[in-house]
Amino acid sequence: MLDDLRYRARALFRRRQVEDELDEELRFHFDREVQKYISRGMTGEQARRTARMAFGGHEQVKEDCREARGTSFLELTFDDAKYAVRQLIGSPTFSIVMILTLALSIGANSAIFSVINGVLLKRLPYPQPQRLVRIFLTSHEYPKFPLNPWDFLDFRARNHSFEAIAAFSRSDVQLSGQGEPIKLNGFHITSGYFRVLGITPQLGREFDFQAEIPGNGRQVIISDRLWRTRFGADPAVIGRAITMEMQPYTVIGVMPPGTEHPGNEYHSVAYGENVDVWRPFSFQGNSNQRGSHFIEGIGRLKPGVSVDRALAEMNAIMAQIVREHPNNNGWRVLLIPLYSEVVGTSRQLLLVLLGAVGMVLLIACANAANLLMARSSARQREIAVRLAMGAPRLRIVRQLLTESLLLSCLGGILGLLSAFGGVRALVLLLPSDFPRANDIHVNWPVLLFTLAVSLATGILFGLAPAMQASRTDPKQGLQKTTRGTTSGRQQNRLRSALVMAEVGLASVLLIGAGLMLRTFLNLIHLDSGFKQDHLLTAGVSLPREKYKLEKDRYLFYTQLMSTLNALPGVESAGAGSDLPWTGYDENAGGFRLENKAPQPGEEFHARYHAATPGYFRAMGIPLLAGRFFNEGDKDGAKNVFLINQTMARHYWPNESPIGKRVTFADAPKNDSDWITVVGVVGDVKDHPNSAGAEAAFWYPEFQSPDNDMLIAIRTQSDPRQAIDGLRLAVHQLDPGLAVADIKLMDDVASSAVSTPRFAFALVGLFAALAIVLAAIGAYGVISYTVGQRAPEFGLRVALGAQRADLLRMVLTQSARLVIPGIAIGVVLALSLGRVIRGLVYQVSPNDPLIMTSVVLLVSAIALLAAYIPARRAAAADPLATLRTE
Amino acid sequence: MTGRIELPQGTVDLLILRTLLPGPQHGWAISERVQQVSSEVLSIQQGSLYPALHRLERRGWIKARWGTSDNNRRAKYYELTRAGHKQLEAETEAWRKLSTAVQQVLEGA
Repeated sequence: MLDDLRYRARALFRRRQVEDELDEELRFHFDREVQKYISRGMTGEQARRTARMAFGGHEQVKEDCREARGTSFLELTFDDAKYAVRQLIGSPTFSIVMILTLALSIGANSAIFSVINGVLLKRLPYPQPQRLVRIFLTSHEYPKFPLNPWDFLDFRARNHSFEAIAAFSRSDVQLSGQGEPIKLNGFHITSGYFRVLGITPQLGREFDFQAEIPGNGRQVIISDRLWRTRFGADPAVIGRAITMEMQPYTVIGVMPPGTEHPGNEYHSVAYGENVDVWRPFSFQGNSNQRGSHFIEGIGRLKPGVSVDRALAEMNAIMAQIVREHPNNNGWRVLLIPLYSEVVGTSRQLLLVLLGAVGMVLLIACANAANLLMARSSARQREIAVRLAMGAPRLRIVRQLLTESLLLSCLGGILGLLSAFGGVRALVLLLPSDFPRANDIHVNWPVLLFTLAVSLATGILFGLAPAMQASRTDPKQGLQKTTRGTTSGRQQNRLRSALVMAEVGLASVLLIGAGLMLRTFLNLIHLDSGFKQDHLLTAGVSLPREKYKLEKDRYLFYTQLMSTLNALPGVESAGAGSDLPWTGYDENAGGFRLENKAPQPGEEFHARYHAATPGYFRAMGIPLLAGRFFNEGDKDGAKNVFLINQTMARHYWPNESPIGKRVTFADAPKNDSDWITVVGVVGDVKDHPNSAGAEAAFWYPEFQSPDNDMLIAIRTQSDPRQAIDGLRLAVHQLDPGLAVADIKLMDDVASSAVSTPRFAFALVGLFAALAIVLAAIGAYGVISYTVGQRAPEFGLRVALGAQRADLLRMVLTQSARLVIPGIAIGVVLALSLGRVIRGLVYQVSPNDPLIMTSVVLLVSAIALLAAYIPARRAAAADPLATLRTE
Repeated sequence: MTGRIELPQGTVDLLILRTLLPGPQHGWAISERVQQVSSEVLSIQQGSLYPALHRLERRGWIKARWGTSDNNRRAKYYELTRAGHKQLEAETEAWRKLSTAVQQVLEGA
């Protein structure tokens, strides 16, 4: 064993010496043979020839000896690599083209894989995340709906499937005290929220059940970031009172760094470490009124309990609740594993992108194989010589494979480097609501992925050309021309097939890019129902203690509105409960229409909004019937509201809703229990790609002003010019208030279509890369065959063929490659349509216009790629070409 | 030449070891010797001789050193090691058993 190792080590590390010795040994043997034959009476020449014939391949013997020494694998690889490097340096253009195309496609794969690794593959940052589920309600009208607090309490008390469940609800806070007041992302959470997530505070504790009782809510848990930036990481912060919403709150806990928000739907905050303040959720009001749904549920399943079993139990509880509170009828429980909820929407997009870069890589492989084959026919002599010297065919395959692996690995290294930049660009390009963007890095798994892809690529594109080259017939290869040999014809067939495949895959990607472009255009040209341009939006929250009285809030808002409306350059200013396309999802249920009994099982639910008189004009939402709100719609006046077109059609089909009345009271007694519809406004969808608008109504904000309000200011010129005026106006009314979330509606609108834009940008980029590669491939094959057929063309011209005939011949040949390629692509695209159905909007995956455009585009590009060599063929000089024969 | 038999690898190893029993030899002499002793029936081609020598050396059954040949040239001489002697005995024994058994089957049938 030790001998063996020592022997191998010597063979490996003193290679030169061992090889020299072997040479000497074999030479000695040969000379003795020659001597033997001479002594038997042969001439020197005869003896040498006989000895050489008996000897067999010198190279082969050496090769077998190396193998017998047991070091051959490493040695050979080293040799091959050295040889390969020499080969690559010898043809720099070829090498650079190969390495660059491979780097681009491997780099693109690494970049997309980095995103997939961070978003889909990395574990959620909670212990045993597979046991976490989100809890929603569902009905046939609302597929995914938030919970009602009282239902939540019943779920919490009665279920046995969960270790713990908790609820949370967005509630930002204004932190004042030192310096400028700031607005922080905050949540109201029930006791046990962090226990469900599996995160313990690094200091202090989490809320107990007592904190949920109204009046006990002046406690706060803060994030590590807030603790460090605002409180100097002082451990004594626990028990200290801090001022939020102009109220003292006692800090009872500090969460550790890395406490990530599990995401929410309603008033959504992106996934990640971006929540700074948690306060206790208070269960206030009447537990029999269960119409308002606004809290989000999350639970940790007991070990071994499946989601299905938990769902069955929760639905049994829901059935009990419905028996106890019949107006809850129609709701069922919906449980979604947290992982699916977090990555849900992004998953399909990412897998489609992975498929797209995968296709680009396949095209790059086909291209590389084509280039290699074109080159290997140029290297046929070299290979023939080596074969004639006795090198076994496997050895040639190995050598050529080493070359392609070297190329692909160099491409992989360069690709990885470009992936670092690419990933940074990707993260910037990512839609703002994309989950887990912070988890996207080029890290070890990405490195391993790149290595694996590089090796697989090298083998994939190198194997066929290497096999084919090794089949070179040494005799034919050594002759001057190799034209017309069988292997040459076979090779042409393979190369044509590769080009067809390239064209096909590129067509698929172009069709995909076309669909994404149409989706994007459909969304931005959509009639949004409001005007996004010249619109500034911002948020103001009135602290609940200071503005406890409705009349204070009324005073604040009316004064602010009149100041804003008087600002120079402001067309109209308004305020409301929400802004379009920002994830607002507040609903009111349980109302009744006058003189209309609900059908059995019919739910009366509508989106709930509030607005000041100027809101609609500022947003550019049109009035369809009746009137907007006016200054007279205030407290004490007749209760009125505006409805949208969908609500009008749904509840008052075929009649005018103006003057109709609605009530939320169980037993309306007098006029003040009724609300009168005074106008119908245009529909605004929740999100640009929602199927339609929800039924919605608006309360006059001035009738019962809320503490939180979003402001919309329409200006004549650049809306940014109104920012200072807005700040000043708010400051004059109350210097302690922060103006938050100042945004242009154009930006809000553009971020609402950021996912389709992202999808289009990437698929488009990959498609462009694909078609360029395919064009190079087509060009390569056509110009190669034109070169091969040059004598034939010369002969044809000599025999009287017109140049146009030659042009036509070559173009026909390229059409024979491209047309089947496009056909394959279209068929593939049709069968893949299902995969991207969820990513397109108002366009069929089989859209004939897109298919036709792609067919024309690819044909045009292929024609162009063939035209250059075709012209060269047509320009053939009969004399010159015949002379070279 | 027509009477020659292709030798399997194990047999080549055995013949080489046996040929080295009297003393160190270089490669060419080994092949000549085998041919001679077997009345020209067995011949180890260079193609299998040298790989076999390298293999046996790696296994530690023979060792090589450079010496001077009878015509005053540097040649690589191989000799049996102690492990080589043992291996030769074992293989010879195995071969005897095998050939006797084959003989019996051929005659008894």
